[in-house]
Amino acid sequence: MIEISGVSKTFPARGKDAPVLALKDVDLRIEDGEFLTILGPSGCGKTTLLRMIAGLAEWDKGEITVNGTPVRGPGPDRAMVFQAFALMPWATVRDNTAFGLELRGVPKAQRRERADELLTLVGLKGFENRLPGQLSGGMQQRVGLARALAVDPEILLMDEPFGALDEQTRRLLQEELLLIWEKTRKTVIFITHSMEEAVLLGDRVALMSPRPGRILNITQVPLPRPRAAAVDQIEGSAEFAKITANLWGQLREMQTIRVHAGEEPAA
Amino acid sequence: MTAFRVQDYPLKNYQPRGGGPTKAQSGGLRALLSRSPWTYRLIVLAIIGGIWQAYATAAQLLLVPKFTDTMIGVVTLAINPDTWVAFMISNQALVVGFGISVVFGVLLGLGAARFRSIEGFVDPYLSILMVTPMAALIPILMMALGLDLSSRVVLVIVFAIPVIIVNSRTGVRQVDPNLIEMATSFGATEREIWVKILLPGALPAIMTGIRLGLGRGVTGMVIIELLMVAVGIGNLILRYQGNFSADLLYAVVILVIFEALILVSILRFIERKVAPWASQTVLRD
Ligand SMILES: Nc1ncnc2c1ncn2[C@@H]1O[C@H](COP(=O)(O)OP(=O)(O)OP(=O)(O)O)[C@@H](O)[C@H]1O
Ligand SMILES: [Mg+2]
Repeated sequence: MIEISGVSKTFPARGKDAPVLALKDVDLRIEDGEFLTILGPSGCGKTTLLRMIAGLAEWDKGEITVNGTPVRGPGPDRAMVFQAFALMPWATVRDNTAFGLELRGVPKAQRRERADELLTLVGLKGFENRLPGQLSGGMQQRVGLARALAVDPEILLMDEPFGALDEQTRRLLQEELLLIWEKTRKTVIFITHSMEEAVLLGDRVALMSPRPGRILNITQVPLPRPRAAAVDQIEGSAEFAKITANLWGQLREMQTIRVHAGEEPAA
Repeated sequence: MTAFRVQDYPLKNYQPRGGGPTKAQSGGLRALLSRSPWTYRLIVLAIIGGIWQAYATAAQLLLVPKFTDTMIGVVTLAINPDTWVAFMISNQALVVGFGISVVFGVLLGLGAARFRSIEGFVDPYLSILMVTPMAALIPILMMALGLDLSSRVVLVIVFAIPVIIVNSRTGVRQVDPNLIEMATSFGATEREIWVKILLPGALPAIMTGIRLGLGRGVTGMVIIELLMVAVGIGNLILRYQGNFSADLLYAVVILVIFEALILVSILRFIERKVAPWASQTVLRD
């Protein structure tokens, strides 16, 4: 279980820029085995919050605990999947996948076996010896996912993992992530910009708002599981439409920059 | 005043370039050229050689040998043991000086990327080395170190080391910060981040720095022999110049270029072997 209580963070003023109150009094509880999606407009502090849970960033006030232990840095119970994939361009797909294991001193043969097992799981059998530069974006993120799963973490932290992918690839990977999650039941915190993605994947959707960044509310997603086999059905359902419409309504309210009607440039 | 319209400013020289369906390769010259860069290179060489030959034949200057004579000179020198001895003598300075430059240049560059204190120490001297016309240092070196090998070694270092330091430092700095964050999130220690992320990430830039440094080292090696310590290759050049043996003089220069080309190709080869994922880094000094 992850508990975030009263966490605040201000990035100090730099040069002419005013200080940024990135997070203010964030409270959040994520149960074991839960799939939580965090939805919010750009700049509301989603990445900042996730990096704190990962033990990569510091906060000013409050506390974050994982299974009761205060977070003081990265730990073997958490693994991250990055928006920009973060694959080492000089290492093969297999070596990239095994990176977390290598850092733990797992012997080469076991590392290799485990990496290949996960590459098969994410559909990359046969690509073990390729370099990341030879793969498409979707395949690269599969490697990113396999690498995180390889260390068998309790918690997966995913920062817009499909944000850099095209729509078709993204849909495929959503289905596959659901499939994998339904098999493994890890705790997942998944950040996204997309209402549809948030609702399709999550048990709950935490909506964040900017300036200052905080959790505005949390929506329960009552859609039945398993969902992997029924994605089209779910996305066509009235329930799904209602939840996403509601989220969009709230997100639209947060936007401060709007096109002024009547002032659009002449064609 | 009428409103500005984008359409009033058409692109003037708009032309389709390189798009569309694949063009059928016509035979003849085009096919020949597309086959290998060597075709181009040999054609350029032939053109330069031809112009050279024509100019030298027409001008009849004492110090401009014919292209053909120069080529004969190259062969003459290549089979003369004295030439080899001269190259050995010169290359002593290159081997020692370049070796030191690689070791200390890479270490200083990596250190500067990691430690502010080293950066602060290296930076001002590096700036000085980058802007000083190196040849101006030669008389000073001579006075300080005398006429022996050590001053030649120091000159090679002074020529070669700045670009190695700068490229190594930049190489570390430009490693994707996402990778560092990734490694940290998987529990890497600072040492592991260096060994597994920063060094491999900086390797292509370091290799490029070493290759550029070699070219400069060769320059330094020849310059000091020409200007001050008349030994080795520099001595050969000065001797043939004094003799008015223009063909041999040119031939020596060509042999030096050959040596540099061979050494640089070896380094390029190593570069491709150790960093095959980076086809070309475009870092310069
Ligand atoms: N290192 C930093 N220094 C100063 N300000 C920062 C820093 N990191 C983030 N911020 C600011 O904190 C706020 C939240 O940033 P964060 O990256 O967490 O947003 P986000 O919700 O992930 O946005 P996006 O959806 O665009 O990824 C932003 O206003 C950002 O400018
Ligand atoms: Mg973000």
